[in-house]
Amino acid sequence: MTALSQTDWGASGFPAQVRILAWRGLRAELSDWKLVFFGLLQPVVLLVLFSQVFRVVGGLPGLAGYGSYVNFLVPATMITIALTTAMGTGAALLAELYGGFTSRLRCMPVSLVAALVARTLADVVRLTAQLVVVVAASYLVLGFRPAGGVLGALAAVALAVFFGWCLDWVFVALTTMVRKVQALQAVAFVVTFPLMFASSAYMPITAMPLWMRVASAVNPVTYAVDATRALSAGVASVSVVGAATGAAAAMALVGGLAATRAITR
Amino acid sequence: MQDCAIVVEGLVKRFGEVKALAGIDFTVRRGSILAVLGHNGAGKTSLIDILSTRAKPTAGHASVCGFDVVRSAKQVRRRIGVTGQFAALDDAVSARENLVVLARLLGADRQQARTRADELLDLFDLTAYADRPARLCSGGLRRRLDLAASLVGTPQVLFLDEPSTGLDPVSRSGLWETVAALAGDGTTVVVTTQYLEEADRLADEVIVLGLGHITLAGTPAHLKSQLGSQVVSLTVKDSLDADRLLGRITEWGLGVDRPTALTITVAVTGPADIVGLVRITDAESISLSGFTVTEPSLDDVYRSVHRSMVVAT
Repeated sequence: MTALSQTDWGASGFPAQVRILAWRGLRAELSDWKLVFFGLLQPVVLLVLFSQVFRVVGGLPGLAGYGSYVNFLVPATMITIALTTAMGTGAALLAELYGGFTSRLRCMPVSLVAALVARTLADVVRLTAQLVVVVAASYLVLGFRPAGGVLGALAAVALAVFFGWCLDWVFVALTTMVRKVQALQAVAFVVTFPLMFASSAYMPITAMPLWMRVASAVNPVTYAVDATRALSAGVASVSVVGAATGAAAAMALVGGLAATRAITR
Repeated sequence: MQDCAIVVEGLVKRFGEVKALAGIDFTVRRGSILAVLGHNGAGKTSLIDILSTRAKPTAGHASVCGFDVVRSAKQVRRRIGVTGQFAALDDAVSARENLVVLARLLGADRQQARTRADELLDLFDLTAYADRPARLCSGGLRRRLDLAASLVGTPQVLFLDEPSTGLDPVSRSGLWETVAALAGDGTTVVVTTQYLEEADRLADEVIVLGLGHITLAGTPAHLKSQLGSQVVSLTVKDSLDADRLLGRITEWGLGVDRPTALTITVAVTGPADIVGLVRITDAESISLSGFTVTEPSLDDVYRSVHRSMVVAT
C-alpha cells in the first residue's frame, strides 16, 4: 500500500458545514424519483380531497368575500402542507440521527447543530417546490383565482415557506427529545391535528364552539392562515403579516433552543 | 508520555447499575497497534465510544494525542478516524460523494476534496464502484469505503471497532494489510476484535477486557508464553499403532488425548519432551505419517482467562 498523502485543510466554519450538509440532504432527496414524485403529489391530493369534501362550506356567510371556497382553501392548504412537511422532517431526522452518518459526525469536528439547520434548509427547498406545484395545480384544475394575483399568491407562498421553516424547529426539537419512532409518531399526531383543525384553516372560526375559538386564537397556524389568505386576496396589512411571522418566529426560537439543548447534551 | 498517543487512567463507564468499564488503565505508543479483545459486552465499544468523544466517561480520564477526550473533544476530533461496527455511510449518495462530503466538512475546498476522494478510492480499489450509490454496495465494499471514509482527514489515531465482522477471509486479510501499512506510516491504531487471530496477526500489544476489567495485557508473544505449553500432534497409519503409542506415552507420564482413531495429541513443556516422543516412536518401530508442534494460540489464552473469570464470579 502506498502511503496516503498528508492533508492540511484547516477547518470548516459553521456556515460552510450547514451549506455542505444541506446540499447533501437535498441530493439525497433528489436521488430517489419516487420520493420526489410522491412528495409533489401528496399536497395536490390533500388539496383536491379537501376542496371536494368541504365544498358546501363555501356557502357559509364568512366566506362570501373570497369568491369561491377554493380561494379560501388554497392559502390555508399552503400552511397545512407546511405542517405535514415539518412532520416529515421529524421522521427523516430521526432516521438520520441514529443512522451511521450522524454517528460519524459525532466524532468529527462538525457541529451537530449545523446538521440540524441543514436538515431544515433542505426541507424548506422541498416545501417550496411542493407549494409552487400546488398553486399551479389549483390554478389549472380547481379554478384558483386569488384577488391578489400572481404577486399575492407568491407572497403567500413565501410566508408559508417561512412558517414551514419555523415549524420545522418544533418537530426537530420533538425528535431530539423523544428519540423513538413510535413515540415520535404518537407525539406528532397529537401536535399536528389540533394545530391543523383548531385553526381557521378549514372552517371560519365563527362557526366553531367557544373553546375551539379560544384554541384557534392561540394557534400560530391561525395567524399564518389568516396572513396567506390576506396576501393572496391582496388585502394584507402589516399587522396581519407581522402577527403571523412573529408567532412563527417564536415557535422557531423555542424549538431551536430546545433542539440545541437536546442534541448537545 | 510524549510517546503515548493514548493515555487512559481509571476509566469508568456506568450505565445505571451496569459497569461497562470498571476502572481501566493503559497507554498506547505512537505508531503502534493495540488490539482490544473481549467477548460481547466486555466493554470494548464503550471504550471506543469514550476515546472517540461520542460518550463521556462516568469517572477517570482519557487523552488522545495529548488532548483530554472530554475537555478538548474538538481537538481530539480533528486527529482521529473512526470505523464502527456498522458502516457509517450516507446510503443515498455515491461512494465518491460520501468521501467528498467528509473532506469538505473537514475544510477541503471542492478541488482538494475531489482529489482526496480519488486518492482514497484508488488506494482501496474502489475506483470501479466510485459512482455506485452506497446503498447498492456489498458488505465488503461498504467496509472498505467506511475505512476509506475514516481516513479522509489523515488521522493520527485510528479506531476500528470490530472491523472484520462479516468480512470474507480475503477481504479480512486485505484489511489487515491496510491497517499494518497505516501503522507503518506512523498512524496509531486501536482495533477491537473478537478474532484472536486478528489480534495475533496485527497487534503490537493486546489487552483482554472482561466484565469491564483488563484481565490480561502484553504482546501477543508474551500472552502466549504465559500459557506456557506446546502441543505435539502425532498421526499414525494404523489404529493398533495408535493404541500402543497411547499406552507408552501415558506410562511415560505426559497428558495424552486421542481426537481421532489415528491421531494422538500430547501436551509438552519443552524440547526434552519432544525428543522423548521421537525416541518412543522409534523404539516401538511405529511409522508416523504426521508430526506437528503447535504454539498455543491466543484462543487458548482467551479461553483460559475467560474460564478462570467465570469461575471467579
